[in-house]
Amino acid sequence: MMTAEVQSMPGSSSRDGIMGAFDGYREELDEYYDRREALTKVSRDITSLSKKCIFLLHRLMTDPSNKPGNERETSANAAKKGYESMEQIKGLFESISEQLQGNDFWRFQRTVSPGLQEFIEAYGFAYYLEHNALLPYDKMQTYFSNDAGVPYFPLPYSDYLLGISDLTGELMRYAISSVTTRAGRVKAREICDFVRDCRASFEVFAPRIRGMDQKQKTTTSSLRKIEDGKRRAHPPLLSARVPPLTPCQPPMQCRSANTSMPPRPTDWTSS
Amino acid sequence: MDEKDFEEISAQLEQEANLREKLKDEVSKLEQKSRSMQGTMNKIHATPTSQLPRLINTIKPVVESCKEDTRAIASLVPPNTYWKWKYMWAQALQGIVFTLALCKFLEEGTLITLPEVSKTLGVEEEWKGRFTIATEDYLQGIISLVNELSRLAVNAVTLGDFDAPFRISVFVKDLFAGFSLLNLKNDSLRKRFDSLKYDVKRIEEVVYDVSLRKLNTPTAGGDETMS
Repeated sequence: MMTAEVQSMPGSSSRDGIMGAFDGYREELDEYYDRREALTKVSRDITSLSKKCIFLLHRLMTDPSNKPGNERETSANAAKKGYESMEQIKGLFESISEQLQGNDFWRFQRTVSPGLQEFIEAYGFAYYLEHNALLPYDKMQTYFSNDAGVPYFPLPYSDYLLGISDLTGELMRYAISSVTTRAGRVKAREICDFVRDCRASFEVFAPRIRGMDQKQKTTTSSLRKIEDGKRRAHPPLLSARVPPLTPCQPPMQCRSANTSMPPRPTDWTSS
Repeated sequence: MDEKDFEEISAQLEQEANLREKLKDEVSKLEQKSRSMQGTMNKIHATPTSQLPRLINTIKPVVESCKEDTRAIASLVPPNTYWKWKYMWAQALQGIVFTLALCKFLEEGTLITLPEVSKTLGVEEEWKGRFTIATEDYLQGIISLVNELSRLAVNAVTLGDFDAPFRISVFVKDLFAGFSLLNLKNDSLRKRFDSLKYDVKRIEEVVYDVSLRKLNTPTAGGDETMS
């Protein structure tokens, strides 16, 4: 009786149908938004922990108490400590791996991508210190796997390449800060060659990977900074006598017009 | 990491680029159909209500042929990478959802459901992970439907169908109530949902005008607007 009445009212039954359907859509959207939010948080944590790792590596490598002549040992030691502090981050990746299974990985790839890239940068830095070489893709994918060798998720080439591209910036910082010592200058030259190789190798990926083009520009500017730093620190150039520039005399009316200017040093023009 | 590793990555990316090209070809077919159907359905604003079934029948074969394209896309997409490629056809698909929803409303006065859309486009259960119709794309299409119906409310009156605004008003209010159930975040869905209230208002104005002039058939609506 009741239902017959409801159905006889035009619109009512369709309204119920619509509300029922939208209830379902709400549940689905809520679940998606909740998961995305949770993954965003973890991704941010991974980013900040990875940054801390990078700072740790910088600190260990530029520690004044590092003995000269022991560079290999210092690097290996720094890398080891770096890896240790990365275990915590690996745990975070493991904790979200369940959310990134199968079809879901690509649904949330953009959400986890920032943290993933930052971590690859940190891991690549430690790897470089240990091996003096570029972190291979396979090594990274293997790292993102559980004990049984099952990957947490398929590591996208784009995140790998963009992550190690960021590494060149860190190497630049390291090269510049260590260029003041003799061993550092050797190191800076190595890094310079390494970054130059990276830049050359990544060039083919610029048209294929979104964002690579911009990274290449940054890498180029890092490379220039290392080159400049190397040149400035180069002993022969430092000791070379460069004749001082003779500044030209400003026009007279200019000087008289601005009387409030402090007097110029007298030996300025005499030399 | 030596040159060989880079070559391997490069080769993989090359393969991906090839796949993208192939998908683009298939998607462009779907896109063309989506646009042509929307173009045809645009004629509803100048077609008397009695002739609508004929107009809708002209796009039926096109709808049917979309099944080939969805099948072709599904066969190209590698397993579990649906979300990686979906952006390529999302817009075309939203247009198709809109067209199908519009036809369904004009024919039966009801809302097409997501499973109905999937069935019409021949989407199969086993394509999961390769091709499905995402809820957000379906909802985007339905929002377009509301936009279109608010235009139709005005134009139907011009063509002398004074009862259409009442039917549309009830339907759109139901949809609005449905959308209000969703907890939307600040994304494109939210922005477009926010625009719906203007459509509702526009339709209400038409209903008001028509009732004021007593142009509608009293049994067709009148008291429905109270609900």
